[in-house]
Amino acid sequence: MESFAYPHFSSTVHVALFNNVTNAARLRARIGDAEREAVNFAFVDARLVTSVLHIQTAVTQALLAASQNTLRTKTVHSEVLWALNPSNNITEALRRYGVSDDSTALLVIRIDPLDFLVVQDRMGSVVEGTLAPILELAGLTDWAAVKKYNKLNEDPVINEAQNDPSREHHLIDNIVVSIVAMKSVAA
Amino acid sequence: MAVVAASASTTALLNSSTLISQGAEAKVYRSSLHTGSVPILLKHRFAKQYRHPTLDSTLTRSRVVGEARALLRCLRCGVSVPGVRFVDQASGILGIEWIEGRTIRFLLGSGDEGDGAHDGDSEEDDHDVDSLADYEVSKDELMNMVGTEIAKMHLADIIHGDLTTSNMMLSHPSSLNHSLRIQKLVLIDFGLAYTSILVEDKAVDLYVLERAFASTHPASEPLFASVLDAYKRKMGKDWTAIGRRLEDGK
Repeated sequence: MESFAYPHFSSTVHVALFNNVTNAARLRARIGDAEREAVNFAFVDARLVTSVLHIQTAVTQALLAASQNTLRTKTVHSEVLWALNPSNNITEALRRYGVSDDSTALLVIRIDPLDFLVVQDRMGSVVEGTLAPILELAGLTDWAAVKKYNKLNEDPVINEAQNDPSREHHLIDNIVVSIVAMKSVAA
Repeated sequence: MAVVAASASTTALLNSSTLISQGAEAKVYRSSLHTGSVPILLKHRFAKQYRHPTLDSTLTRSRVVGEARALLRCLRCGVSVPGVRFVDQASGILGIEWIEGRTIRFLLGSGDEGDGAHDGDSEEDDHDVDSLADYEVSKDELMNMVGTEIAKMHLADIIHGDLTTSNMMLSHPSSLNHSLRIQKLVLIDFGLAYTSILVEDKAVDLYVLERAFASTHPASEPLFASVLDAYKRKMGKDWTAIGRRLEDGK
């Protein structure tokens, strides 16, 4: 798990990557339940995240919306999922980017100045899976799904780079990070 | 209608950033969004006292939005520009990828890098002697890159609106991952950009650049000629009409 301090938002953000998750369906059911403290996290399907910067950019825009009282969803955690999805449809954002029954890799995020160990402990007690270094995210990305959801398949730059995967992934990452950062002013 | 006023979090963010340039339109900062993050560049279009507050707020918002959208359009079309990293429309702030490098104006050695008529064109006044040699390109190659990149932008029907040698940068080779074949030349400052398919608009973009070369760089004719050569090659058949229009304008 890693923690990032956002001094200007007076916030700390904890991000953990869990792989080989076996209880995704139960997690999803519990979130639907109620805002219970035990599952007070953002659960993000790691397959749709292209880099640490990608998730950090979504977190930043969610924190900004919270600080300006312009959240479009109920909580700052659901706002992270909303920020990741290019459309304005909240249900779609939660369905695509949140935990689904077949999720096996999850980014679990807590936006809260709680102590590192307390958060790690609580995450570990709800998610059945292997805690992995956050940089392992790079190997989990489903690039085809990322391209589809972000409508990148028609983009000239992506077609030009399709025979060079590392270059293509770099370009896609820069575009999706930009899409998340400017979602509030998207055309 | 709300006046553009920085919120508490925005004020704190700007206070924690380093001011690197101030123009008439905006202040430019080097900043960081959270502990341990890579640096980003923040462009704050501050409130203008000389404008009516409502007009000021509308203009500021539309320019932040316009610049962010133009950058994304460029990225999708493969034009080399900084990625978008942060948008706070209410406060007039745009955060973009930090480019470690120098402006073309600086590298061509116009003599001084001073605050000209354009916003955001001066750089930190540090004393390392960056030269073209450090960037592993010749002047001619550099002009080629400029022409090619502008052509890519025009092929995507994006008009920059303020092409000058201060609005183009060359990334320092040490800041790039060479295996990714990332373009070293980066077009910046899309505050006046718009989309257009008109030959006229593309020709005007080139004309503005030609004037900028003439007023900034001594003996600029051969430099601009090689920019135009590369531009022609990249534009292909689209060049004929634009070239004719450019000639007509003179």
